[in-house]
Amino acid sequence: MDKKYGVYICKGCGIGDALDIDALCEVPKEEGLPVKVHDCLCGKDGVEFLKQDIANDGINTLVLAACSRRVLYDVFRFDGCIVDRVNLREGVVWSHPRSEFAALTAEEKEDENNFDRVQMMAEDYIKMGMVRVEKIDLPEPYQLESLSKRILVIGGGMAGMSAALDAAKAGYKVTLVEKETALGGHAAAWRRQLPIANPYDNLIDPIVADKIQAVESDANITVNTDTIVARLAGEPGNFTVTFKKPGEKIAFDVPYPLPDEMKVDEKGNDLDAEKLHEAFLKYNEGKEDILQFDPDGEMYGAVVLAAGWQPYQPEGEEFAHLGFGELPDVVTNAQFEEIAQNGKIIRPSDGQEAKSVVFIQSPGQGNDTDFDYCGAVTSLVALKQAKYVREDYPDDGKAFVFYQHMRTPGLQENFYKGLQQDPGIFLTKGEVAKVSKNGGGLIVDADNTLLGEKLQVKADLVVLGTGMVPATKDDPVVNLAYRQGPAFRDNIDLFKGYCDSNFICFPYETQRTGIYAAGAIRRGMTVEESMEDASGAALKAIQCIESVNRGVAVHPRSGDMTFPDFFFQRCTQCKRCTEECPFGALDDDEKGTPKPNPARCRRCGTCMGSCPERIIGFADYNIDSIGSMVKSIGVPSEDDYDEPPLRILGLVCENDALPALDIVALNRMSYSADVRLIPVRCLGSVNVIWIKDALSQGMDGVFLMGCKHGDDYQCHFVKGSEIADIRVKKIGDALTSLALELERVTQFQVAIDEYDKIPQIINQFVEEIEELGPNPFKGF
Amino acid sequence: MADTYVAEPDLGFIKEVGALGGADLKKCYQCATCSVACPISPDNKPFPRKEMIAASWGLKDKLISDYDIWLCHNCGDCNTRCPREAKPGEVLGAIRAYAVGEYATPKALSKAIANPKMLPVLLAIPAVIILVMGFIFNSFGLNWLNFSIPAGGEIWQANFIHNYLVDIIMIPTFFGAIAVFALGLKRFLADMHAQAVADGKAKDEKIDFGKVGQAVVSTVLTIIKHNKFSECGENKERSTAHMLVLFSFIGLFIVTNCFFIAEWVLHIEGPYSQLNPVKWLGNAAGVALVVGGILLLRNRMTKKDQASSYWDWYLVGLVLVLGLTGMLTQMARLAGMAGISYTLYFVHLIFVWSLFAYTPFSKLAHLVYRTAAMTYAEYTNRQ
Repeated sequence: MDKKYGVYICKGCGIGDALDIDALCEVPKEEGLPVKVHDCLCGKDGVEFLKQDIANDGINTLVLAACSRRVLYDVFRFDGCIVDRVNLREGVVWSHPRSEFAALTAEEKEDENNFDRVQMMAEDYIKMGMVRVEKIDLPEPYQLESLSKRILVIGGGMAGMSAALDAAKAGYKVTLVEKETALGGHAAAWRRQLPIANPYDNLIDPIVADKIQAVESDANITVNTDTIVARLAGEPGNFTVTFKKPGEKIAFDVPYPLPDEMKVDEKGNDLDAEKLHEAFLKYNEGKEDILQFDPDGEMYGAVVLAAGWQPYQPEGEEFAHLGFGELPDVVTNAQFEEIAQNGKIIRPSDGQEAKSVVFIQSPGQGNDTDFDYCGAVTSLVALKQAKYVREDYPDDGKAFVFYQHMRTPGLQENFYKGLQQDPGIFLTKGEVAKVSKNGGGLIVDADNTLLGEKLQVKADLVVLGTGMVPATKDDPVVNLAYRQGPAFRDNIDLFKGYCDSNFICFPYETQRTGIYAAGAIRRGMTVEESMEDASGAALKAIQCIESVNRGVAVHPRSGDMTFPDFFFQRCTQCKRCTEECPFGALDDDEKGTPKPNPARCRRCGTCMGSCPERIIGFADYNIDSIGSMVKSIGVPSEDDYDEPPLRILGLVCENDALPALDIVALNRMSYSADVRLIPVRCLGSVNVIWIKDALSQGMDGVFLMGCKHGDDYQCHFVKGSEIADIRVKKIGDALTSLALELERVTQFQVAIDEYDKIPQIINQFVEEIEELGPNPFKGF
Repeated sequence: MADTYVAEPDLGFIKEVGALGGADLKKCYQCATCSVACPISPDNKPFPRKEMIAASWGLKDKLISDYDIWLCHNCGDCNTRCPREAKPGEVLGAIRAYAVGEYATPKALSKAIANPKMLPVLLAIPAVIILVMGFIFNSFGLNWLNFSIPAGGEIWQANFIHNYLVDIIMIPTFFGAIAVFALGLKRFLADMHAQAVADGKAKDEKIDFGKVGQAVVSTVLTIIKHNKFSECGENKERSTAHMLVLFSFIGLFIVTNCFFIAEWVLHIEGPYSQLNPVKWLGNAAGVALVVGGILLLRNRMTKKDQASSYWDWYLVGLVLVLGLTGMLTQMARLAGMAGISYTLYFVHLIFVWSLFAYTPFSKLAHLVYRTAAMTYAEYTNRQ
């Protein structure tokens, strides 16, 4: 594309009042670029003015020095044109008011040692915008050669069947696979079910049979029972799936990655790429490599994973204090449901009627947490099962529930209220200390109850409210033929085996693009919640297929047409990109060369940040574009002024930190005018070369500002800010070799709602740098 | 550390408390707003939060011996603030009703008094007693029950039913009621103390009778002054009605005793002059009883958020009928309407007897249990 540049400076929203626009116009003029000024670019006139230039003068590369790129993006979208927004409004004038950063008076201007920090800032940002558009290209979407729009649903329980029906209703062909020989899952073995509709006040008969009927009679749904996924290869829009019977061993069973201890030779040295691959194949003998696609595999566009849960199996002596394992009349809620399903509630020990049943919701022993893998659903199940006792013995049945937390979210509160009215149901918060034998029955001891410090209740049967273990805890289920392994990597460890990306910010999204989780693999949930979840996951799957169809990214960079481009001639097969990609998008071949799967990619750029050879980039975001922006920042030295201002670079995550900075500006809070901010897609995309470039050209400090990482991470790309933190820590050696202090480079974690802290964070960093003194490289 | 308590819920108790006006007790979710709202609940182990869960668990034994239920004056502050409309005040009232029935003997009579269908039978008993006793004495020639009073003579109730007959029936009834109370109170005091020790509200120490005396004096003063009533937020107006009724009963009790002495000791026969100061007191108390009864009735009728069961209406009705029949008997007598006066007198006697005989089984029993509970609370310095 032959670029024809145009720089446009908007004077609206206070920009014209705070800045010397004529002086700003000199910046593009020096570079020989045409520059125009307008009073209000976003107004009808302004947009028309731009359109005229595009139409009449053939301008196709525009630098709009106006407001933040986060606003009015639809107004300033001109198809076929590269557009960059220079953030003069939020980034300069609103966050650096003249009341605090006074402009130079005519007299002051005469002394060449005086400078106007805010004006300098605006000039730098215009320079950065101009160099950016020079370095980037218009993206072209990545199109798959062949695209399947079929959706695979794994799991034939309530969530899976609902997802299949929802997707089918939207017009998509669905295959539903179930490892058991019949559909229905756990819900098929219940006596009664929690309410799913108004008035939510009583148990209902299970709706599972209707669901099965609906699935089986839907022409868009193919049901494969007694089937599991042996391997799932490829990328969204083009997954190749091999099915098998449970327990079978086939060549297309998914291979597992080498354990770490096998990645080194006898001397402890790392194996090279080819040796590694050899060892990998040996380790997975009898199985095909991941890059070998099954010629008989079926094609799918996206996957809904609704593999469900298993009842928690207490280990050995785990609940010995509650008599579990030793006393036959102490059972789990799953075992109780089985008893209830078989007829009247009876004691397993002697088959006698169990008219006094105690439900225990927390294992106690000084800890107030519920049993593992519990949640609101286990509270509700205890209430449901308490009702069974009353249904079987309406005159003298007694059901006791000892809880630490009684959670009945939403309108299930009505169910709780209705149940509470039953004279034979007794609820109390309390810690159950022990369950022991008492003649033919049992006796339950509880402490710190609502009825007093020490309480005993006689029981015929005791039920432990144990949890719902997600199917993904010990089994990948999806069996991905991905180099990073068959399962969802990091978050499974973080979320106790639950399968999700971030259940608050991105529900249903897993760490693998195109695979969406629904139901009890995300958290313990009721039938009602599972059905709602299923709709969400089905819609996500459809969204993914349609995004891939248009060659654009899925959430969180929805609609982004760019994808990582590799300059393979210079690849050293270091595998860092393959290993660091949070989404397992890259599969390296036997030589260790990465094989990109653009449809799996979420476009965060973590690979770009990881590459030591700097061969990965996007059309509009690459090492050169950001590096050149860094280099275009003016770094005044003592040659320019007696007391030159500091220059500090801030690489700012555009997901949360950048919006927070815009909020700072909206609130007219201010921060140092000596910083220059560059938005990045994710801190994971920050390549340390940018930091080194900044410091070697004399900038005094560099900070990264992005999302929180750790257990309660908020990184939109899961691992980006965490990886950046590791890279920043490792940069120390390079700094030492330059004889620079480690404190000159740092990373800040901010949440989007912490905007009020940002000015202080920035100013404090600037102060620290001031104390360290200017970068000794300044002026070289 | 409190002892272990074995909870054995009594489903029948829950249903009965429900029928006695505590139907919403199961709605409680133990937020304890009631205990905070209550102006007279102590800081240590405050009621009625703990009574609410005990009630919903059907812990009968724990509740009837819990003297906190008697410290409650049912002002309704908790009812209006309860987020679940569980009406803790009503529940405590229902538990009190149940407790009265439990401590009174015979139980069958308790059940009858709580049952509106049995009211005609209960009222027939004194009528039959008066008639039967009258005929028995008449058969001995004493002629204490006289249906043929000559017209025109002085109207005097003793001409119809002789005071001796009245006293021979009423005095044993009165002392019988005292005996029932004594038995109930003995059990109540023992249970109350044991429960208070188990709950950690009191220590099991030797009784200091001097301190008991002080507690009695202080409690009686509190009751006379209606201090607890005035602490309540809602239903403050009940204080006036209660005061009128309480003082009128005290007044009438004094008047009755005076005339009893006049009759049996000084042998001064009635009817007494309206100028007699004792008569003034009697009339004033009679008017106060009627006015108090009407106020009680009005309060119950206008308070929509307060549930009123038969248990409550029984007492209101008794107060009103006693006052009205008493006053009207006298007014009819002074107006020279002999037939009406004698008939009203007969009705009056039926209710006086009912007052004595049924008090240990009815809501009025609170005069004993509440006083005992308040004294105990004072004695053990419950705060």
